[in-house]
Amino acid sequence: MQLAILGQHLLNGVLIGCAYALIAMGLTMIFGVMNIANFAHGEFYMLGGFLAFYLVSLVGLNYFAALPTAVLLVVALAVVLQHSIFRRLRDAPTMTTTLVTIGLSILLENTALLLWGPQPQSIPTPFPAKPLSFAGIYTTPLYLFSMAVTAALILIGHLVIRRTRMGKAMRATFQNKEASALVGIRIDRIYMLTFIFGAALAAAAGAVLGGFIPVEPTMGGVITLKAFVVVILGGMGSFVGAIVGGLLLGLAEALGAGYLSSGWKDAIGFFAVILVLLFRPEGLFKRA
Amino acid sequence: MQALKLIVTALACAALVPLASAQQPTVRIGVVQPLTGPVAYDGNIYVNTVKMLVDDMNAKGGVLGRKIELVIEDGACNPAQSVNAAEKLVVRDKVVGLLGAFCSTSTAAMMEVAKKYKIPHITGISTAAQLTEQGNPYFFRAVATTPMLGNSFGGELPALVKGKRFAFLTLNDDWGRSMVASYPASLQKAGGEVVAQEFFQQSDLQFLSQITKIKAANPDAIILAANTQQAAALSKQIRELGVTVPLIGEGSWTSDSYIKLAGPSAEGVIGLVEYVYTIKNPINDAFVKEFQAKLKDNPSKFAGAAHNAISIMVDAIRRAGSADPEKIREALEKTDYNGLVGNIRFTDKHQAYGQTVYAAQVKNGVPQVVKTATIAKP
Repeated sequence: MQLAILGQHLLNGVLIGCAYALIAMGLTMIFGVMNIANFAHGEFYMLGGFLAFYLVSLVGLNYFAALPTAVLLVVALAVVLQHSIFRRLRDAPTMTTTLVTIGLSILLENTALLLWGPQPQSIPTPFPAKPLSFAGIYTTPLYLFSMAVTAALILIGHLVIRRTRMGKAMRATFQNKEASALVGIRIDRIYMLTFIFGAALAAAAGAVLGGFIPVEPTMGGVITLKAFVVVILGGMGSFVGAIVGGLLLGLAEALGAGYLSSGWKDAIGFFAVILVLLFRPEGLFKRA
Repeated sequence: MQALKLIVTALACAALVPLASAQQPTVRIGVVQPLTGPVAYDGNIYVNTVKMLVDDMNAKGGVLGRKIELVIEDGACNPAQSVNAAEKLVVRDKVVGLLGAFCSTSTAAMMEVAKKYKIPHITGISTAAQLTEQGNPYFFRAVATTPMLGNSFGGELPALVKGKRFAFLTLNDDWGRSMVASYPASLQKAGGEVVAQEFFQQSDLQFLSQITKIKAANPDAIILAANTQQAAALSKQIRELGVTVPLIGEGSWTSDSYIKLAGPSAEGVIGLVEYVYTIKNPINDAFVKEFQAKLKDNPSKFAGAAHNAISIMVDAIRRAGSADPEKIREALEKTDYNGLVGNIRFTDKHQAYGQTVYAAQVKNGVPQVVKTATIAKP
């Protein structure tokens, strides 16, 4: 019994940790490459969830078609935002871009509130609701599906950054913007791709998790904060750091709430951030 | 030409003056509810209900021969924002009465504003016990507190769920904490025991760790405190982790929106509520009918709370015979109101008593009353 409970806590931690990692990956990329602390990142997550809900329940699209369509719609929004706002702020100081993203976050949240109202929604999924159990550890097909999707996207994201020409160009821009421009990398294009990439990952997380976590307009705020916790834990701009940091935060919350006190669940992550900033400000996984 | 214009203008002004003074000033009532944030959905139901009822009252001539005007502000279930909203309503809009807020913590902050400016303030929702223990002369609570509900139903729960081991999983705020502090006494008297107490935050939407921890304690039933959105996520996730014991909840557990959102996981849930739309009495029949016609839904307990709060406030203004806040306050103390859920009067501490409360179980998507109790004078 005790072992099954521990297993359940670990499984919960990995499930949520994968989602944290996916969202934080985009945030850390946007920060690393574009030098923007994107406080509107959680809103991409919210929009992914809401659009998936509307495509499934109002348009009547198949669940598995609705998820990528929702992500594509968020990507379209990201293209518009990058083209109309962030491209113009390429050389603006961080304070300016930070304020712009905070404003954008409020704008997106309230637009969603106006368009869709405050009522929470749950994305209908084709999966049976009946839980599966292995040796006393319970899960559902939907949980397994979201874990598989988030894990696959993390892997794909990792491969894109590490193995492709585009990823190489992103990493080069991250290291030195001017030198990359000198060798012929089109910085504007890299910025656009990075922003799209980040928005798409967050939207995918929202669409997949919306099956068991209700979607509502104000859900993005907490997610942005959690993603920042992960990014600071892993090191600002560190890609591997975001993945490991996301899983660590998920597990720390699950085990902390499970074996210490659930009232302190959210405090665990923020406490860890204070410790990291005090003793290892460059993050756990970034070589200083 | 110039002279003619001047004369026309002067005449027009002269004509306007008596018109303006003939226009009776309205009686302004301020409402602070969460229109954004985690409980925005339920807050909007409250506001829409109050609007609907005030339109009805105005169609019948308003109060004191004047129209009632609502001034509505968003408190977002945030104490600071609720205080700002209440300050604005009193100072700028000059309201004579305040309704709100929603979350107990916000109401606790807002009632200090009511006291400072000497404006009568009614909450129809906030149930944390200590609100009426502070002796704030301007604050009235038209709803049973969590301990009162606990006293009424705590002793019934072991028989109702045929079990002894109870686990608590509640919101980590004044409401949830007061539930965990007050229910165990009557539970234990009836042979029950508390095997786990877990909390979650207002912003949480996944509760897997808490549920797993409760599962380890192996309870016979789980007692919860949550509103629509968290309630739906809770009941789904509890079932998804393979926990099949009965769920008993304070909050939105019998509202249509919860039942729709939670789907099959809402079946069998027992809500301990101040109002449920399936009760039978003439006032409720008329209310449900109008609500369904105008707001296209069955009224939830927040609609019931709104009905009580605005009716009691307007009843007091009528009896006071004046829109003077001090006179309204005095009239409120003498309230003897027969409404949606029976008779309501206020104790010396301004806590409502005499009304009926309900334990309702969701059966085939419809909440059915399984037990009623009357709130005794404490």
